[in-house]
Amino acid sequence: MRYDSVTDIIGDTPLVRIDEAVHGLRNIDLYAKMELFNPFGSVKDRAAWNMVRHRLAGAADRGDTVVELSSGNTAKALAVIAGMHGLTFRSVTNRMRIPEVKDLLLLLGAQIDELPGRSECLDPADTDDPLTRMYHTVSAAGGGYLHTDQYFNDLNVEAHLRGTGPEIIADLDGRAPDYFIACVGTAGSSTGVARVLRRHDPNVTVVGLVAGKSDFIPGIRNLDEVHEVGLFDPEVYDTIEAVSSDEAIDGLLTLVRRCGTLAGPTGGGAYQGAVRYLRGVDAGLTERRTAVFIVCDRVESYMSYLRERRPELFRQPARAHSVRTLTGDELAAARTVDVAGAQEWIEKEQPLIVDLRSPFAYRALHLDGSVNIVDDLFEEMLRGGLPFSRRRPVLLVCPVGEKSARYAALLTRMGHPDARSLSGGVIAWRDAGAELVRD
Amino acid sequence: MAPYLQPRVDGDLRSILDSHDTLHRMLDTLGSPLNLVLPDRLAANVRDFETTLRAYDLGGTVYFAHKANRSSALVRALATTGAGIDVASLGELQHALGAGIGPGRIMATGPKSREFLWLAARTGVTVGADSVPELAELAGIVAAHGLPRVRVMARLSGFASTGTTVLSRASRFGVPVSALDPLWTVLDKHREQLDFHGAAYHLDTNGIPEKAAALEGCLEAMAEAQRRGFGPRAVDVGGGFGVNYLADSREWEAWTTELTGAVLGQRPPITWDGHGYGLRNEGGRLRGALAVYPAYRAVAGPAYLDRLLATASTAHRRPLGALVLDNLYDLHLEPGRALLDQCGAVLTRVEEVRDGLVRVAANSNDVALEAHGVLMDPILVPRGEPRPDDGPVEVFLAGNLCLEADLITRRRVLLPRPPRAGDLLVFANTAGYLMDFSAGSALMQPTARTVAAWRHGGDWRWCLDERYWPVTGREETG
Repeated sequence: MRYDSVTDIIGDTPLVRIDEAVHGLRNIDLYAKMELFNPFGSVKDRAAWNMVRHRLAGAADRGDTVVELSSGNTAKALAVIAGMHGLTFRSVTNRMRIPEVKDLLLLLGAQIDELPGRSECLDPADTDDPLTRMYHTVSAAGGGYLHTDQYFNDLNVEAHLRGTGPEIIADLDGRAPDYFIACVGTAGSSTGVARVLRRHDPNVTVVGLVAGKSDFIPGIRNLDEVHEVGLFDPEVYDTIEAVSSDEAIDGLLTLVRRCGTLAGPTGGGAYQGAVRYLRGVDAGLTERRTAVFIVCDRVESYMSYLRERRPELFRQPARAHSVRTLTGDELAAARTVDVAGAQEWIEKEQPLIVDLRSPFAYRALHLDGSVNIVDDLFEEMLRGGLPFSRRRPVLLVCPVGEKSARYAALLTRMGHPDARSLSGGVIAWRDAGAELVRD
Repeated sequence: MAPYLQPRVDGDLRSILDSHDTLHRMLDTLGSPLNLVLPDRLAANVRDFETTLRAYDLGGTVYFAHKANRSSALVRALATTGAGIDVASLGELQHALGAGIGPGRIMATGPKSREFLWLAARTGVTVGADSVPELAELAGIVAAHGLPRVRVMARLSGFASTGTTVLSRASRFGVPVSALDPLWTVLDKHREQLDFHGAAYHLDTNGIPEKAAALEGCLEAMAEAQRRGFGPRAVDVGGGFGVNYLADSREWEAWTTELTGAVLGQRPPITWDGHGYGLRNEGGRLRGALAVYPAYRAVAGPAYLDRLLATASTAHRRPLGALVLDNLYDLHLEPGRALLDQCGAVLTRVEEVRDGLVRVAANSNDVALEAHGVLMDPILVPRGEPRPDDGPVEVFLAGNLCLEADLITRRRVLLPRPPRAGDLLVFANTAGYLMDFSAGSALMQPTARTVAAWRHGGDWRWCLDERYWPVTGREETG
């Protein structure tokens, strides 16, 4: 297949049946609309492209900045598209909670503005929140902004009216599915697809999934937040149900481990919410039905999200030579030396002095002649064995002598005959009036 | 019915609020409204913050932000701990000195009069300066009056962030980090008068990323100070650690959802006159932002400090707590509200009950829930014999001023049973900012007296706030 532009690849995603052995529904064929196959990785590629493509002409000449309130896939797609057309992209967000997405946006050249947190000393008379203020700025005509406004822009819905919805019907041999289940973010995909399906068959059941209030699933809004969404119309949905982050991760694991579908948490939530809802109707069915849910994006960007919530999924083998494995006895036996003793020792035997503090602090002040290996890095080095000769005595220093004692104990366990920790650390050294230098 | 927002009340505060006879006796003697403070709890809260600091091996002082409460008993109790005090006026400085807190443990902050600066310099307290001109003025006073060198901290503002742009509300206070040269110049010129102790920030936010950027900014500025030959020793992270006011997160979630529904017209109003607390309905869409204190907070107080110190510096990829320690700095902090968690309550008497309106002998300046946007229920303390349980009622709470706006809260409050005149409504956990911050004597209505209470064996002892001293009957004669 040959294309003139990567944006031509957006859309026409496959519809893939989920094996009955996985979902366990007897009378329902469950299909996944594989939006993760879009070129920039998500369903938002469609909306992003549809919202800007007619406005690109002249925008580069004017030097406009594309701006969107997004912390995720829409921002990603817009950043790519903006870059392709010589525009800058600015993402304004109070929800930048996925570090991998943040890093990716920076890599793509986006500028990210994070909105301030809530006021601690509240002024109840000030109801003009930062988001509203920002909205006014970017919406002003001639302000140099191409504001895509995904939560209110009908072109977002239109992308799915013309693309996603008709594709589903075509792939089901001209029939609408009986059930359509979608997570509600901007409400663009769920609204657009639902309208197309209903137009085709008014009996389609549309299930909207939102997050619990204190919960967080990337790309899904919670029960209250959906009301802030301009495109959200409660009439679109036959029912709105909450799905938890725990369920979303369960669904994600099923999709990635059993279905060959590398879905992110939103797709996982849609799967789990779909199966939960359909299980309720499946038992009472006497004829076959079809259901479709949307797999919004890919799993790779959510490793830290998953690690935070399911650390057991990332179990690491026990590490050799780790300070975490030291016993109380080993710690108690660690050799220490006080400031006066250390001064004398340095004078006589010139031990290698290793300063375990950060380079930033080391640069400001340190013991003369010391080398700086920050503790994280030192631990990493020790994993491979002793990084210096056993014949050279070592003086370890840290701020208060606590970490350095641990490393002295570890070096001793690793067979170093004379590793000592400066007791009281650099603070004791300073407080004793001993010399600290800047190089 | 809109849900309860039951206050989180524990320990001694729970115990004394359960002693209904004691509460009624206090109020019968001293009138309504009446402020109740528990000095011993303040000391316990200081220890919790210190424990968090020590977990990071950090030295430093917990400075109680005096502005959060005027009580003498609290300040005198503070004098018995290792904590310091942050004073923001001449009156507060005099109060702290008079309570027995030594100048080495006092930090003067906020906008300062010349008299305030003079007394601060004369007694040798640390001055947290808001601006370069303030430092110059202070140096002038020190030089003119032959005063000893004053330890100063410089409040900084306008912090830049790395990676993303972390936006922050503009502040009237502090020296912008983008233009520190005048600061170095004034400190250098007045080395005889000013002893630069370190940098400070104080941000009005509960956002960790903003505070992390500010703390990094202070460390950068202090590194610059080192290069210029100053010897900064401490970084001051200000206050804003927060309090969790509610017992149950589900009540907070349910109530805010109901408010959203009410603003959108999907259910009858749950506030006075359909007040939206910052939310508005624009063509069926929700606009604005909820302008109230996040009454339920899963992470507040010492746990919030812990979260901040565990946050990695984006520039140095190292937890901020470790980075401060690496630099051998002490870490000072100035909690107000968080140190007063569970330290007091405002007691009010019910004057009248009619048509879903309960009027108490107090006004919205005495119980400043509305002014500070804190939404929580009062505790009903009935008077006299137990009455049949008639089930919960929804009421509005009105104050004793002849102003339409004088509502204790604009929330419709759910009480577990109908109140009667003579019952008490107790606003628990209000010692921080909600008690006497803005109390006055409008209409010549009585202002609250304050009572300090403490445990004595199995009993509660109490006295007027101004008569409380930490020695009160607590020690054996030697």
